[in-house]
Amino acid sequence: MDNKNPLSPHIQIYSWSISSLISISHRIIGVINIILLTIVCFWIASMLLGSTSYEFIYSILNSFFGKFLVIGITWSFSFQILSEIRHLFWDLGYGFEITTSKISGLIVIFGSFIITILIYILGRQLI
Amino acid sequence: MVNATKKWVFLKISSVILIPLMLWFIINFVSIYDKNFDEVLVFLTKESSKFLLSILMIVAFFFSALSISEIFEDYVHDEKIKNISIKLLYSSAIIIPFLTMIVIFNLDI
Repeated sequence: MDNKNPLSPHIQIYSWSISSLISISHRIIGVINIILLTIVCFWIASMLLGSTSYEFIYSILNSFFGKFLVIGITWSFSFQILSEIRHLFWDLGYGFEITTSKISGLIVIFGSFIITILIYILGRQLI
Repeated sequence: MVNATKKWVFLKISSVILIPLMLWFIINFVSIYDKNFDEVLVFLTKESSKFLLSILMIVAFFFSALSISEIFEDYVHDEKIKNISIKLLYSSAIIIPFLTMIVIFNLDI
């Protein structure tokens, strides 16, 4: 028998707002980050194999792809840190107003790029 | 305390611990990722690195297990598949950090 119940808005016709965008991104990036952290665990474990075996990982990390990967990890960590801080403010009872929520959402999006650049500069000791 | 409330409290506590640890890790990772084997080993065998990396792995996998189980609750509708997925998730959240800690504390210069 056909289901006559009304359907909730499908993702393709959903009217996107900053809050919904950040909400789904927060979940997706959370999953990506734990996959990245699992790769970091393998990277640490690879150290047990000795310096000769590490040459392969060394060459990947020093390639263009390696740099892209590291900048990608930095951005996804930055995004999650900022989004998590936003959630903590909500838990304390702040930032529920629509305008404040939109502004904090924009801070998460643009701030994640700014923090990525700052972390990269700090990590590479470029200043 | 209700189980869901306990889960929420654990999520929030781990989230607060995780934020500075993620910052510490990513800054250090950016500074050493392209270094040679010996330089990476020097970083990983420092007492502070061993301690902070271990805490990071434990808290990050604990936090992820709790938050990803929420995603399973929301999107997986088959009870059997959901329960198996959550059990696999919790098992990996124990096994992966545990094995990584064994590696970290067995690394020597």
